[in-house]
Order: sequence, then C-alpha cells, then structure tokens
Amino acid sequence: MKIIPIIGLEVHLELKTKSKMFCSCSAAHFQAEPNSQTCPVCLGFPGTLPVPNQTAIDWCLKLGLALNCRINQYSYFERKNYFYPDLPKGYQISQLHQPFAVGGFLEIEGRKIRLNRVHLEEDSGRCLRQNGQIQLDFNRAGVPLIEIVSEPDLTSLEIVKKFLSRIQQIARYLDVADADIEKGSMRCEPTVNLKIEEDDHIFYTPLVEIKNIAGLGEVAAALDFEINRQQKEFTETRQEKDKPPAGGKTTRGWNAGQKRTFLQREKEEVADYRYFPEPDIPPFEFSEEYIEKIRQEIPELPDQKIKNYLNWGLNQTEAEIMSYDRNFALCFEKAVGNQTKLAKSIANLFLGPLKFNLDLEKINPIFFHDLIKALNKNEISATVAKQIILESYQTGKNPLEIAKERNLFQNSDIEDLKTIAQKVLADNPQAVADYRKNPNSIGFLIGQLMKVSAGRANPQLARQVLEELLK
Amino acid sequence: MKDEINAFITLIDHPSPGIPIAIKDNICTKGIRTTAGSKVLADFIPSYSATLVERLENAGFSIIGKTNLDAFAHGSSTENSDFGVTLNPYDHQRLPGGSSGGSAAAVGAGLVDFAIGTETAGSIRQPAAWCGVVGFKPTYGYVSRYGVIAMASSMDCPGVIANNINNVIKVFEVISGHDSKDATSLSLPPFRFKQDRLIDGLKIGIPKSYLKITAPEVLEKFNQVGDIFRKLGHEVIEIEMLDPAIAIAVYTILQSSEVSSNLARFDGIRYGQDRRYFNPENQRRILLGTYALSADSYEQYYIKALKVRTLIINDFNKHFKNIDVILAPTTPTTALPLGSSLDDPLFGEYADQLVEPSTLAGLPGITVPCSLIDGLPVGFQIIGPRLSENLILNLALQYESIKN
Repeated sequence: MKIIPIIGLEVHLELKTKSKMFCSCSAAHFQAEPNSQTCPVCLGFPGTLPVPNQTAIDWCLKLGLALNCRINQYSYFERKNYFYPDLPKGYQISQLHQPFAVGGFLEIEGRKIRLNRVHLEEDSGRCLRQNGQIQLDFNRAGVPLIEIVSEPDLTSLEIVKKFLSRIQQIARYLDVADADIEKGSMRCEPTVNLKIEEDDHIFYTPLVEIKNIAGLGEVAAALDFEINRQQKEFTETRQEKDKPPAGGKTTRGWNAGQKRTFLQREKEEVADYRYFPEPDIPPFEFSEEYIEKIRQEIPELPDQKIKNYLNWGLNQTEAEIMSYDRNFALCFEKAVGNQTKLAKSIANLFLGPLKFNLDLEKINPIFFHDLIKALNKNEISATVAKQIILESYQTGKNPLEIAKERNLFQNSDIEDLKTIAQKVLADNPQAVADYRKNPNSIGFLIGQLMKVSAGRANPQLARQVLEELLK
Repeated sequence: MKDEINAFITLIDHPSPGIPIAIKDNICTKGIRTTAGSKVLADFIPSYSATLVERLENAGFSIIGKTNLDAFAHGSSTENSDFGVTLNPYDHQRLPGGSSGGSAAAVGAGLVDFAIGTETAGSIRQPAAWCGVVGFKPTYGYVSRYGVIAMASSMDCPGVIANNINNVIKVFEVISGHDSKDATSLSLPPFRFKQDRLIDGLKIGIPKSYLKITAPEVLEKFNQVGDIFRKLGHEVIEIEMLDPAIAIAVYTILQSSEVSSNLARFDGIRYGQDRRYFNPENQRRILLGTYALSADSYEQYYIKALKVRTLIINDFNKHFKNIDVILAPTTPTTALPLGSSLDDPLFGEYADQLVEPSTLAGLPGITVPCSLIDGLPVGFQIIGPRLSENLILNLALQYESIKN
C-alpha cells in the first residue's frame, strides 16, 4: 500500500499597514487594550461606510505579482454574509469572483506549487471565552487580511513547511506583513486527503479541512495526525471521497493540547455566504501601467538571491541562510560589492561574528575586501579576522588598523618563529618524545607555539619550522 | 411647536439658534436619538453626525427635529413606522406618502421650510407630491451617504424637501459635494446654481408608458403642465420608454437583497435591540433578499436583476441623446386614505412606479406641485441625465415663476 498525502493550503496574512482596511483606526492591534482601536466604522455602527485603504490594495497586488499571479484588471469587493458575534456588520468584505490576483505559483525545490488566488479582505474581531462568558474585542476587526489559496499540490510535510516559510519570507521581503505565526498575523488552514494505491487500485479519502492551528510547528503536527487518522479510518471503513455515506468534505478542529483533530462540521452544514458585489465600494480598474509600476517596486526575491549566491561559490545551505532575511542579504551584498570572488570568505564572516540584525549603513565594503585579502595572504589569522571584523563593524574603524594597533598581524618571520620554536621544544620534552613515536601529535607543539606567540604566529609556518627543527 | 400630524419622532426642546431644518430620522445626528423609524433603534444615540448634518450645521442650520419614516425606510406611507403613521397635512384621513413622509408633511404643514429626506425609489418625490411641496433627489453620489442608515446602498440618495425651489437650491448647495468618508461619493465640488431665466427650446419627452398607469384626473392636471412648458418655448413630445413595471421587479430584488445584508449588523450586541424587533415589513424584505442572494437563486434573480438594471440605464441614455429632460406625473394618484398600505405588501411599488426607473438609473429628479384635486395636491416631475441638476432646477424655477 502506497500513501500520498494531497494537501492544499489557505494562508492568511495580516498586512502591516498603518490603518485598517476601511477606516483610519490603527491596524497594529497586538496586545492593545481591548476595543481601544475602534471607531463607528469598524464597529459597524448604523450609517457608517467603508473607504478602502489604497496601500493595502497596492500591497495585495504586489504580493500577487511576487507570487507569479496575474492581476485581474477589473476587480471588486464582495460581501460574505454570515452571523458571528465578532463580525460587526454581519458580513465580511472579501473577494470571491474577481479577486485582485489569480493563478500564480511558488517553486519549492524545483516543484511548482500552483496558487489559485491572492485576495484582500478584512479581519474579524476576536471572541475571548472566559468563565463561561464571551468577551468581544474589536481591535482586530477591519485589519487588512490577505488570503492566499494554493491548489492541492503539496505532498509532504517537508514541502508544506518550506512553502509556508517561503510565503513568510516573501511577505517580509516586500515589507507588507510581519507574518508572525505565533502572534497570529499569519494563519494557515490546510485541507488534506490521501491518495492510496493498493493492488493496482487507487483510492482517495474524503477531504478534511483543519482549523484553529496556531504556529508553524502545529501545522505539521496537525497534518501528521490527520494523515495517520485518515489512513486508519480508511482501513477500517473503506470510505472514499465523494462516495456515500460520508464522502463529503468535513471540517476538523486542531486541539494543540491533546495533539489531535476533532470533528467540527459535516458537509450538510456548509454555509451559504450569499456573496454579492459590495455596493459601498466602486469596482477597481487597474491599468497596465499601474500594474507595471507596482511590479517595479518588487525587490529581488530570495529565489534569485540564492541563484546569485550559488554562482558566487556559496553552497546551498549557506545561500539559503544568507538570503533568509532581506536586510541581512543586503548587508552581505553590500560587503561583497563587485568582489564576488571574495563572497565565500565574506559569507563566513556573516555566518559567524556578524550573524545578527545588522545596520546596512554601517557596512563598509572596502574594510571587508582589505580584511579578506590580508587573510588570504596569511597576514592575519582567521580567528583574528572574525574578532576584528566585529570590532570594525561596531566602531567604524578599518579592521587592518585595529590589527595594527593591537599588534595582531601574523608573525611570518622565520627567524623569530625559530627562536620561539626552540623554546617550545626545550620546555616540552615529553611532547617531543611523543612526536618521535607518532608524528601526528605535532598539533600539541603547534598549539604551544601559538600560545607563546600570543596567537600571532602563522600556523602553517609554525608547523614548517617545528618539523624542520625536529628532523 | 405643535405636531398634530405626527411628522416628528423626536422634536428638539431648545434648538440652537440658526435656520430651522428637519432631518429624516434615518440620518445620524450626534447626541440626538436616531431611530430609523424602528424599535430596533428606539434608544440609539449616535456618537457622530452624518456628513450632510455636519455641513448643514457648519452653514448655520439648526436641527429642530427628526422626522418620521417607515421603519428603515421600508415603505411609501409611513404606516410601517414603529412610531405611528404621519397624517397628510391637507387631509388628516390620508397618507403623507413615504418613506420620507414625516419630512414632506412637516414642510407641507408649514412647520418648517426645509427638510432632508432620502430616496431609494421615490421616497422623496412621492411624499413631496402628496404633501404639496417640492422634492428633489440629486444624482446618486452627489450627496454623501455617510451617516445615512443604509437601506439599499446602490440606490440610497439623500435630497431636499422644501416649500419652494429656491429653498431646495439653498440646502442642496450646502449638502452636496465630495466626501472622503463615502467611497461612492462623486469627485465634485459642492453644487453652485447658475440661474438661466431665458432657457428655451429644450426638447422635453413624456414617456407614454408612464401615462398609461396614471389616474385620469391626475393626467388631466399633468397635461396642463405640458402646455405650460410648450408656451415657455420648449418642444414637448411623447416618447416610448420601457414599462415602469419592469423597474418594479428589478427594484424589488436588488433592494431586498441589499436590505438583507445591510440589516445584518442589527444584532443587538453593540447597540440597539436585537432582530426580534424588526417589524413585519422589515422581516419580509430580509427574507426575500436572503432568498434572492442564496446560492440556488442568485443567478436567476440577483444577477438577472442587475442585467435588467443595465437595460433600464441604457434606455434612459438612449433617450437622452434625443431629448434634454423627461417630464412625467410624480404619482399615479393623489394621496390615498390611511390604511391603504396595510395588507398590501406591493402598495409602495404601485405608488412609486413613476419614480423607480430613474432611481435605479441614479438620475436626478425633482417633483413640483402643480394643482389640487378635491383639495389634495398633485405634482409633476422633471428627470434629467446624470449631473443635469442645474438644468432641471432652472426648468422647475421657470415653471414656478409662471405659476406664481
């Protein structure tokens, strides 16, 4: 029996615009005092009207383009009608028939994951259940929310994780969303079923949508549980997708505490949202020029950066780490400048002492080039290089000046090294005896020599000199 | 002030100094109870004013009261008001029309010179005609809807009811113009009237289909209006337009669909009472609209109605290539007796059928009183192309000056 999970994802991203989607309240609601960021518009008071946030629309187009979508030049908002205490107007302004962006894809490890759509809507408020009471907080109501819907093209938990982290990364590169899963500004609802191949037969298990997942790790845990559950259920019931008595799509909730999903809703209860065009907001028409203008604002994305870095001689892992955060990547690129031959060595500094949130302004490419050249000429040691580049970053001084001031240039003077080596050999007769038996033990003597030279001895020359004297 | 005809839901005890004006009670007024004529909002005091209210107050107007209407503007009689019917100032046994019946009756009774009404389909012009006053509905989007409790958002349009045309103009100049709080508001500065006393030689079309459904005695008075415009030097011709009954069907579906969604916010959680307080007419419209928008009937009803709405708009556009304005009776009959709307869910559709097509098309229109039949007022209306406010107001003024 061969089992292949078929997974589609619905990802929600809260945009980090200053104001909400349809009013001027602040959209930064995290941990704000309940209902402190509300107004008659986002509370749905009688007579109030939504005025769309142009920045949010532009950002939705931008994210759509970055995800390789086509922009619908004619587009409009619609009302999704349903009742819930945290939905102030009794409908959510969303998009169904003509979303802003459609038909994109993301490439994950050479595989294309197709995207159905990228649309814009408003977030709801929040219901807080406490001591049998429901408390309502409308700070989140009306925050701009982007929905990304994938086709069911994901077939493993690894790909799901990479897909989500790539979306998060792109949103952050575009600077349109914090995409922080733990804070709830990025949310994910997977739909999963299994393709089961058994003795030349292929079976599909019924579709299950999983809700209430908070956290990237939880997505994988929930999917893992659900894949096992569906496999077990199929073995017991032989129930297939779209076949009676129970082949319809069901909704299951994820209980993070118990690490299991539980049944929430069967197919018969699927809501009719009575979508219709939002009459309070005129439709949008985007010209080719407008779309092109937005496309021009998209910075170089991680995929392209990784390709560049591989060409510069970094390996896959290094390239991925260097490109993970856009600012970090830009600092690295500034340090490299036109000296791409030095990129690999410079990357080592970024992966070591400089692996923190850097200030682009404080990166001076000349310092990096001088330092790596000195390193390559054995004028300084790798240890010293790592030490002084950090100090150089912090003080703005040329690292070679620091090395000079502090006398950190490597000692490559053979006569000097010989004098030190003779002292080391005299002080360590046992080690010399060991070397006679086993030449590989020379490391101890080199270490002693380095110590006596206060780290300044050129390690390769030190070895040469010691070997010469021990002949 | 004595309000013997129940024109007001709320009267202000000590209005601030200024030019007195009455506001229909579906328009939010900061600190003044705003009920929309419904028990759902019987105790609702808004924390903000509608844009048009702010503009009036800034221009020196003073609100003297909030006028009666069919609850949530659902009706054409004020008999659907949860605060009792308003009486026609010309005959207390008759209806004032609606839904802006309180505003029209207040002006008709001489309680106030101006009042603000709202029209979704006839709700300004029909009661103004029945109460013997001028009622003006501008192009959709010319006056901000911000703060107007929504009935059918794609048609709702605030306008002016007044005792003469100059007073209509005075108020319209204040409340018109772009509002950044309403995304459907037109990008235009406030209206400025340019008088043209010598206007003549216009081509005025009278839709034959409108006359077919007009009562003979009303028709007789209307024909005299046509003659006056001929004498003023205009060419008055009959034209073939779509049957207004088509507009009734389209209007009923689109309006109830939008109503079902617009009234969803009244859940009683943040303000007001819950949904049990909707009256039978409100409930009927919510049910009808919910049905029209449901997955099984959306294409058949809602989408089809949208398409026919486009045909109605095209019909007007086609005629406005040949004629300058449309002239028609405002209502098929004079004011009907109290109780006429009860037990007749389609009462309003009949009373409003001569104004519904132009509302669906978002066009400006004005009703002007022309005579009395058995002591009851009769009005006629002028409908123009989008943004032809200046033209139709000039024509109405021309008529008014001849009559006086």
